[in-house]
Amino acid sequence: MKQRRLLSRLFNFAVFIALEIAALQMLTHNAALQRVWVARSAHLFMGKVWGASQGVRSYFSLSETNRELSRENFLLMQELELARESLRDAKTESQDSLSRPGFSMVAAEVVKISRNKQHNYLILNRGYKDGVQEKSGIITPKGVVGIIDAVSENHAYAFSFQNSDISISARLGSEGGSGLLVWDGVRSNGAILKEIPLQYRYQKGDTVYTSGHSLLFPPDIPLGVAGESKVVNGATNEIAITLFQDFSAIRYVSIVHNNSFDEIEQFER
Amino acid sequence: MRKKTFWIAYIFLLLVQLIISNYFRFTPYIMLSILPVMVLCISTRLDTLWTMLIAFATGMTVDLLSEGLLGLNALALVPVAFFRNPIIQLIFGKEIFARKEDFTLRSSGFAQVGLALLLAQALFLVLYIWADGAGMRPFSFNLYRFLASLGAGFLLSLLTLNVLVTDSRE
Repeated sequence: MKQRRLLSRLFNFAVFIALEIAALQMLTHNAALQRVWVARSAHLFMGKVWGASQGVRSYFSLSETNRELSRENFLLMQELELARESLRDAKTESQDSLSRPGFSMVAAEVVKISRNKQHNYLILNRGYKDGVQEKSGIITPKGVVGIIDAVSENHAYAFSFQNSDISISARLGSEGGSGLLVWDGVRSNGAILKEIPLQYRYQKGDTVYTSGHSLLFPPDIPLGVAGESKVVNGATNEIAITLFQDFSAIRYVSIVHNNSFDEIEQFER
Repeated sequence: MRKKTFWIAYIFLLLVQLIISNYFRFTPYIMLSILPVMVLCISTRLDTLWTMLIAFATGMTVDLLSEGLLGLNALALVPVAFFRNPIIQLIFGKEIFARKEDFTLRSSGFAQVGLALLLAQALFLVLYIWADGAGMRPFSFNLYRFLASLGAGFLLSLLTLNVLVTDSRE
């Protein structure tokens, strides 16, 4: 009974719509204004319907869109990596002409590096033909790497910082005390800052920089962060340092040479 | 017999509407129509389908024989027929269908009948004015036209109802 009533209502509704359409058709056929009005309304309606159906279609095609976005994302990541590489190359090239005050710089690539000895070394792909001189420092944006000891025409031999014979002058914090930074001989990123006078206060996590007191390295190159300390002989602090530079991942470096090195050495003699 | 007299009155009122449509156009703000009340007064025993077809034919007759737009009255009158039963049920209750009776001024009272007339007239006028304006006339004009036509049409509908009910149902 209910079904019959429902069917009857549906049929009535269908007839109602049909009669309205017929009346509207006659109206638009005989009156220009109404024709424009109906056409405009129909376009608006169709626009909304198409818009809604497009929305539904878009919703159901989201998985395909996601796949496309993922693929596009992957390609963009690749491009980004290429761009980063280009930027890195450009940076290392520009370092050729980048002159820190009083220092000349040459970009170089590590050809060989030893890391498992107490006296580790590096060989770089730049020699005196490229303007590299002995007693030059080797740095990266993450710190100090070593010191050039010998130079051939196309290569340079250097003592790595991971060498028990090497020490560099370092400063604790931006205005803290200076001391000697040496490799701790154990960790690839471990060092010890020695001979820091007791009166200098510091906190764990303070950054250690090159002091600029050495002729080999420009000042204010960040080297690492301070850790535990101990008092040595009741006179100085010895502070464990965690270096920023990971020596297992060195590839590109900059060779820095103090332009006044010879002149200053003459004073010292 | 009563049924027959109703339809005679119906045709008579249709002629009256034709005269109104052709000769009683005093102002664009007032559109006089007795078509909604005529459809509303069709017996509740007649189902919606037939009522709609009668309304469509009535509207088309007025459209064809008067100076209006062809299809305009039919467009506005068919919804009155379609919503006639819900309007009657809303105002007079379901019992009127169960008892297979028709409403009269005497049995249902002026308030209920007046409200039913107003609703039917309003539905007709909204559609008529909306379609006649074709979105070109300002809302204020349509509103004034609606209110004026509703008032005038309501009074005319009361007279019409009297003719239909007195002559055919009581």
